[in-house]
Parts: sequence; structure tokens; C-alpha cells
Amino acid sequence: MKMVRAIVRPEKENDVVLALEAKGFPAMTKTHVFGRGKQKGLKVGPIHYDELPKVMLMIVAEDPEVPVIVEVIKNAAYVGYEGDGKIFVTPVTESYTIRTGEKI
Amino acid sequence: MLVEITAIIRRDKVAPTMRGLDAMGLGSMTITTVSGRGLQGGNVMTDLDREIPAEYDAVSKITRNLTPASFALVHSLTRPVFWIPKRMLQIVVPSGMKDEVVDMIMSLNRTGWMGDGKIFISPVEDSLRIRTGERGLESV
Repeated sequence: MKMVRAIVRPEKENDVVLALEAKGFPAMTKTHVFGRGKQKGLKVGPIHYDELPKVMLMIVAEDPEVPVIVEVIKNAAYVGYEGDGKIFVTPVTESYTIRTGEKI
Repeated sequence: MLVEITAIIRRDKVAPTMRGLDAMGLGSMTITTVSGRGLQGGNVMTDLDREIPAEYDAVSKITRNLTPASFALVHSLTRPVFWIPKRMLQIVVPSGMKDEVVDMIMSLNRTGWMGDGKIFISPVEDSLRIRTGERGLESV
């Protein structure tokens, strides 16, 4: 099992969620985060923004589903400019549903 | 060996869970405000609109891609809730205490209704206490 963490543009959040839902992945957690990348933020004229708002989506899925999820997010969140975001995949060894107590 | 326990739970269960973990001697955790949705893809306020449940059940059985909430939005039926406010607790514990902590969190958070949340367990390679520079087991 893997956790896919995608940090995407806030304006692209809805596109990504709808694309995932259409592929059969309705379950996810989102949180609003601030971050910066290799460019150390954004410079607009004399003003330097070093924390840019992003949305982080977290999805836990079985290993074979991970490439599908990554592909869907990649296509839906793509704009082509710096700041499109990142996708991280980390291992999850166990997962429980609290309501039933079952282990997946 | 350390593991990270990520529990996504109801907002009103944070205090009981913290008390329960305190009693086990695990006072330290990180709490994040998150929004989430499960396999149901959100929620519909059925209490406010009685005729909805039958209808969206039928539809979501036919087209699996349409979640109750998006169906409700498209048909302007009732108040769809796409994101349900939740709290995420992240606790790093020695791997031996893992089952004990999971049982504790599950027993305190179980109401039997959808939306009780999930617990994920993932490995942690290293841990460091910044103040003293301790590493590994003694840092948690």
C-alpha cells in the first residue's frame, strides 16, 4: 500500500478531484499548505513571495493503482509553468477502518 | 524501529483521543486540520431533504463514478457536502507499541457510523530531537 501526496495549484484542485472521482478514487484527504520550490518563491516586480499557497491531496491506494492515480493527477494538474506542484509516493504498511476495525 | 501512525478522525473526538493517549504515556503528537471524503465521495444532508436518499442510492448504484454529493449538486437536490472537516493526528511511536496505540484510537473513535476515519501506519527511517540532537528511539 502506498500514500500518494500531491501538492497542486489551488485553482486546479477541483479538476484533479473530479478526474480522480471519474477514475473511481473518490476517497482522499486535502489540506491547505504553503510552500516554495526550486525558484525560492515568486518575484513579481519588486515584491518577493516566498510562501505560495498550495493544496495537498493525500490518497492511500494499493500498489497497482498508484501509477494510475499519479497519471491522473499529472494530467489534471498540468499547466506547464513553474509551480505546478509535486507528487510524492510513500509506503504505508497497514491501514485500518475505524468504523469496522478491519485491517486492509 | 519507529513507525508513524496517521489517524484521520472526527473533530469532536480529538480531546478524548488525546486523553487516552496521555494515559498510555504518549503525549506528543501533531494535529492538522484537514478536509476529507471517503468512499462515499462526500455527504448529503439527508435530514434536510427526505426524498433524496432513495434516489441517490439508485443512481450511485448505476454509475459508480457519480458520488452522492456530485449527483445532488448536478440535480440541485439538497445541500451536498464535498469535504467533511476532520482532524489528522500524527504520532511517531516505537513499532512495538503500534498495535496498542491502534487499538486505543479505534476503541475511542468508533461510533459505528460512516466517517469514523482511517488509520495509516508507515515506516519512519530516522528521528531527531532538535534541542538535544538525540536520534532514533530516545528522541520520541
